[in-house]
Amino acid sequence: MKQFIFSLLFLFGGAYAASAQQDAITRFFNQYAEDERFTVVYIAPKLFHLAAKIETDDEDWNNIREIVKDLGGLRVLVADSIEDGVALYKTALSKVPVSEYSELLTVRDKDEHVRIWTKDSGNIIEELLLLVGKPDEFVLLSFTGKIDLDKISSLSKVLDVKGAEQLEKIKPAKN
Amino acid sequence: MKTIQFLIGFFLSVQLVQAQDYGMYWKYKDYDGAIAVSLPRWATFTGSAFLEEKADRQLMRKVKKVRVLFFEDGTPFSQRDIKRFQHKAKRRNLDELLTVRTGKTHVNVFVKERRDAIRKVVVFFSSPEGAGLVTLKGNFRLDELNRVFEKSTKGKKKEGNPTIPNLPKVPVLRA
Repeated sequence: MKQFIFSLLFLFGGAYAASAQQDAITRFFNQYAEDERFTVVYIAPKLFHLAAKIETDDEDWNNIREIVKDLGGLRVLVADSIEDGVALYKTALSKVPVSEYSELLTVRDKDEHVRIWTKDSGNIIEELLLLVGKPDEFVLLSFTGKIDLDKISSLSKVLDVKGAEQLEKIKPAKN
Repeated sequence: MKTIQFLIGFFLSVQLVQAQDYGMYWKYKDYDGAIAVSLPRWATFTGSAFLEEKADRQLMRKVKKVRVLFFEDGTPFSQRDIKRFQHKAKRRNLDELLTVRTGKTHVNVFVKERRDAIRKVVVFFSSPEGAGLVTLKGNFRLDELNRVFEKSTKGKKKEGNPTIPNLPKVPVLRA
């Protein structure tokens, strides 16, 4: 009986700990989600799935479908009139679990810092994380799903979000 | 006896949940400056007769109920209301499609989908310039939506580079 109670406690304790362990980037995102200095955008996977199901003869729409059909979700956190953009960038940088992500691109141009990470599973990129930090600007952009780098770079044209143009810097290697 | 009590309790709770479904609508529909419209099925059905396109007419006839609550000047919705609304929507199995928050402007789109058909769409927005809540109940199959999209995009002039319509614009708050 004692063993049973202990194992139950252990099970529930473990489940609670797992649910509380939100990933660091999500926590960072949630931390500033209500801050009025920031603009927050969240596009749920469902919207991408619905968009992918709508088939038309329209070429433009089909271009978008091709881009978004494998995307899981999108989260954007932007601020362009802040005073501590670089400090925020550094804070966000410290939250990225380096062991889980691989660095795809790093740019440092005077005060501008840009970093792009990917989380891979085999040959598939499951998450793409973009961080931009300037003295007065901060961008955190996270894509999930099956990500094709070629499509993602063209998505910057679709997204009218500050900082998304940095995605154009991803130039997949041509075979 | 217990079964009867359970059944009574169950049906009452179902009624209660349904009554709370439009908590926001019922709470604010009599506020000063509120424009509240509730269209039953017969109204949308009659209205569909005035549509020229057959696909549009068919889609309109699928609408079961429309509820619109609109405030022209300012918003009566407090942060607490917004939080409660978002929480309630998620609890009632509405899937979050899109969330945008910039400064004091909030936009939320929720949808309920069952068997490849959209059953409910809820659009909520609140900003210092105005606020509103639109609830659309119906049975919109994705292939029917496809037809409407196809109709609306047919005959569209194609010249030059394809122009991809932008996803929602993200205005960034100037502090």
